[in-house]
Amino acid sequence: MTCREIEPLLNARLDEELDAAGLAEVDRHLADCRVCAGQYAALEKLHHEIAAVDLRYVAPATLEQKIEEGLPRQDPAKERIGNSRFPIGWWRAAAVAAALVAGILAFHYAPRMGDSEMSEVGQEILDSHLRSLQVEHPVDVASSDQHTVKPWFQGKTSFSPPTPDLSKEGFDLVGGRLEVLRQQPAAAIVYKRRQHVISLYIAPSNDATIGIESQDVHGYHLLHWSQAGINYWAVSDVSPEDLRIFANLIRGGR
Amino acid sequence: MDSRYFELTMWPHLRAAYNYARWLVRDPHDAEDVVQESFLKAYRSIDTYRGGDARVWMLAIVRNAAMDLLRRRPGRATTEQEGPEPVDPSPSPERRLLDQSRREQLRRAIASLAPEFRDTLVLREIEGLSYKEIAGVLRVPIGTVMSRLARARNLLLSELSAPKEVSQ
Repeated sequence: MTCREIEPLLNARLDEELDAAGLAEVDRHLADCRVCAGQYAALEKLHHEIAAVDLRYVAPATLEQKIEEGLPRQDPAKERIGNSRFPIGWWRAAAVAAALVAGILAFHYAPRMGDSEMSEVGQEILDSHLRSLQVEHPVDVASSDQHTVKPWFQGKTSFSPPTPDLSKEGFDLVGGRLEVLRQQPAAAIVYKRRQHVISLYIAPSNDATIGIESQDVHGYHLLHWSQAGINYWAVSDVSPEDLRIFANLIRGGR
Repeated sequence: MDSRYFELTMWPHLRAAYNYARWLVRDPHDAEDVVQESFLKAYRSIDTYRGGDARVWMLAIVRNAAMDLLRRRPGRATTEQEGPEPVDPSPSPERRLLDQSRREQLRRAIASLAPEFRDTLVLREIEGLSYKEIAGVLRVPIGTVMSRLARARNLLLSELSAPKEVSQ
C-alpha cells in the first residue's frame, strides 16, 4: 500500500475501527515508513490531548426545564413536578428516569426473563448505572491504578473485586464505588471505552457458575454471568461486541 | 404515544445533543434553541423511531435543526466569541490552569474547521461515536466518515502547529 492509501487507515487504526487484516497491513506499513509512523504519532498525540482537556460544552441547568415546558404532554408524573415551585434539577430528572427504567423494565422484560438472575436485579443495576452517570463523581475512589482501586474495597465488601488493567485492550479503569444490591454491599468498578462508561457490578452469589446472559434495554446493554461464587453484571451503552469483549476479559482475568 | 418511552430513550442524550448543537452553531443561545426544537421534534416523531441507537437518532435530528438554523442565519457559522466556559470542577485548581490555555487553543482550532470537518471530528473525538454511528448521524457512507476525519485531523494538526511558531 502507498502512503496515500494508508493515510485514512491511520485514522481508522487510531479509532480502533480496523479489522485484524487491516490492522496487520497498516502496522506493516508503519514499521517500514518513518513518515507515516511520524504522522501516526502526531495523530495519536492530538487524539489524547483532546480527550484529556474535555472540550464538551455543558448545557445550562435551565435548558432541561425549558424543554420540559415546551413538550405538549399529559404525563401525570411530569405535571406534578411541573406544578411544583421547585426547579427541576438533574437529580430529580434522574430519579424520574430511574423510576421509569424500573417500571418499563418490569413491564417489558420481566415476563420474558423468567427466573434468571437478570430479572431480579437487572433493573436495579441499570438504575444504579444511570444514576451514576448523572452525578459529578461517578466513583468513590477515582484512580486508573488497579493497586489503588482494589485495596479500597478492603473491609467494605466481603470479597475482593477484580480490577484488571485493561488499558491495552482499550478499556481504561476510572475507579470504583460501593453499591448496595439486594440489601447487600456490592462493588461497582468503572471503566471507560472511548467516551462510554462501563459499570461492572460485583456481588457474592449462591448460584452455580453461569455463562454470559445478555439483555439490551433501550440502547443499554447488560451482561450477567456468575463465576466462583460471585455474580457479575456489566452495563454500558458501548456496542454489544465491545461489552462482550470486556466481559470475556474480566472472566478470563480472574 | 408513550411519553415514558420518550423520557427513557431520548432524555439521556440531552447533554450530547447540547454539546453537538453548540459545536455546530457556535452560539450558546442558538444551541439552546436547536436542542429545544430537536426535543420537540423527537417527541412528536418518536413513533417513527424504530429502536436502534437512540443517540444517533437524536443527534441526526439535532444536526438537521442546526443546519436549518444556519441556513436562516447565514455568515455567523464560526464567529462565536469565546467567553470563559464553565469547567468541570473536579480537577485540582493547578491542573485546571495548566489545561486551560491548551484547551482554548484546541477549542479555537476545532472551531475554525470547515463545518463538515468540524462536524465529523466533534462526533468522533468529543462525543466518542464510532464510524458507524457517525455515518448514521450524517447519513453518509462509513468511507466518507473515515476520509473526512483524516482530512479534519490533518487540518487541525496544521492549524495547531502554525500560529504557535510566530516567534521563530
